[in-house]
Amino acid sequence: MSTLSSNSQNLSPQRGRDALLGLVPLVLLVLIIAVALALAALARQLLAASGFFAQQQAAVIILVAGFVLVLVAYVIAIVLTMRRIASWQQNGIAARAALWSLGITALIVILPFLVAILLPQHPAP
Amino acid sequence: MSSQPSSSVAPTIQSQPGAAANGRNWRIFVVALLIISGLLTSAYTALSLYIATRLVYVAQKPLYSTPAAFGLKYQDVTFPSREDHIQLRGWLIPGVLPNGGLTVQRTIILVHGTRTNRADKAAGLLNFSVSLARHGFAVLAFDMRGMGESPPAPLSLGYFEQRDVLGAVDFLQSGPLPYPDLGRPRAIGGWGVSMGGATLILATAREPAIRAIVSDCAYADIIPILEREVPKGSHLPSVFTPGSLLAAQAIYGINYYAVRPVDVVAQIAPRPILFIHGDSDDYIPSSNMTTLANAARTAPNANVQTWLVPGANHAQSFNTHTQEYVARVVAFYTTALGTDTGAV
Repeated sequence: MSTLSSNSQNLSPQRGRDALLGLVPLVLLVLIIAVALALAALARQLLAASGFFAQQQAAVIILVAGFVLVLVAYVIAIVLTMRRIASWQQNGIAARAALWSLGITALIVILPFLVAILLPQHPAP
Repeated sequence: MSSQPSSSVAPTIQSQPGAAANGRNWRIFVVALLIISGLLTSAYTALSLYIATRLVYVAQKPLYSTPAAFGLKYQDVTFPSREDHIQLRGWLIPGVLPNGGLTVQRTIILVHGTRTNRADKAAGLLNFSVSLARHGFAVLAFDMRGMGESPPAPLSLGYFEQRDVLGAVDFLQSGPLPYPDLGRPRAIGGWGVSMGGATLILATAREPAIRAIVSDCAYADIIPILEREVPKGSHLPSVFTPGSLLAAQAIYGINYYAVRPVDVVAQIAPRPILFIHGDSDDYIPSSNMTTLANAARTAPNANVQTWLVPGANHAQSFNTHTQEYVARVVAFYTTALGTDTGAV
């Protein structure tokens, strides 16, 4: 029984670490998007006096840069996480919590698209 | 008992010979999910951003004529929009009294539609301004932001443009009017067509100085129109519409979902409203007038009139029924704003 108890105690932190590792791409994604949106809003305010085209250019540049950064960070984070998971699995650790976290990340990433598909629309005739 | 602990550790520690291959399969599955979701959402976001930039940009049309071509006196005016102080350009056309004198006692703010300007040839705006002026009403016709001679700005379909109408009210109440000898307007009315009608409703709900409005073929809610027009204009499926509208909010700060005159039209009461709509309008269906009028009538002291114009398409009621249109509108303003006393 003492072995069981010891294993259970070790299991929880291990799973927690797995899950956190799997959430790294999602956290990066959310952070970069939030920063890009905030910067775009700030640029709009700061360039209000410079006219529409300057405002639009600044906001688009910031959002496109944020978009590219998100893509790069997302890909790098996934590659690194997968490498870590693969190395764990080679050492006999299943790392299922990390894989679940990544699966959930995939669902959250696709959520805007799914919501757009499911959102009811009532176009004017 | 010794096998019990081992099985409870199974979710984390591999315990079977084929588990390595199984783990690899799970990794491939999850990576495939991540790639597919990433690609779909990236493509969706990129296209939505692109559509948003196309949606809000309107090439500005030059004015085709001025009131002088109709033998009327007028002055060019410039005034700032309320809140964001965009310098808007317009004309102040004094009303002409029966004795030939000029007056600004009753001034009508004229609000044009989308992708056009204060002279809008297709809707006959300049001709309508001239008709009002000849019936003794001064007209402040101006270009909303991003249109005509006013500075470029994103087309927000009323969300920002209501500030332009409010700026026009401020100008009439406290701005440097070009006819100081005529004094300031005693009563301010509004007339708007299409997006101008919707914008006028949004502004009037916030500004009690506008004492009566005529709203010609306005929409009750812009979203159904956009849900029809965005796929048509972008040649992309309707699934991109919500993304484009959100992208417009991210880039320009426009919340199209808030452009709902139907939600605020009841706040205009007891000030009178005349709704006009062509029954053959295939751009903004005439059901919008019914929706707006019903919403306006929910106020206990509502003063609402409607006129469904037979055979008129979008923004064509003035052109198809010119005399009746002018007669009805002039009668409405005369009742709502009173007669001109002739005094300064």
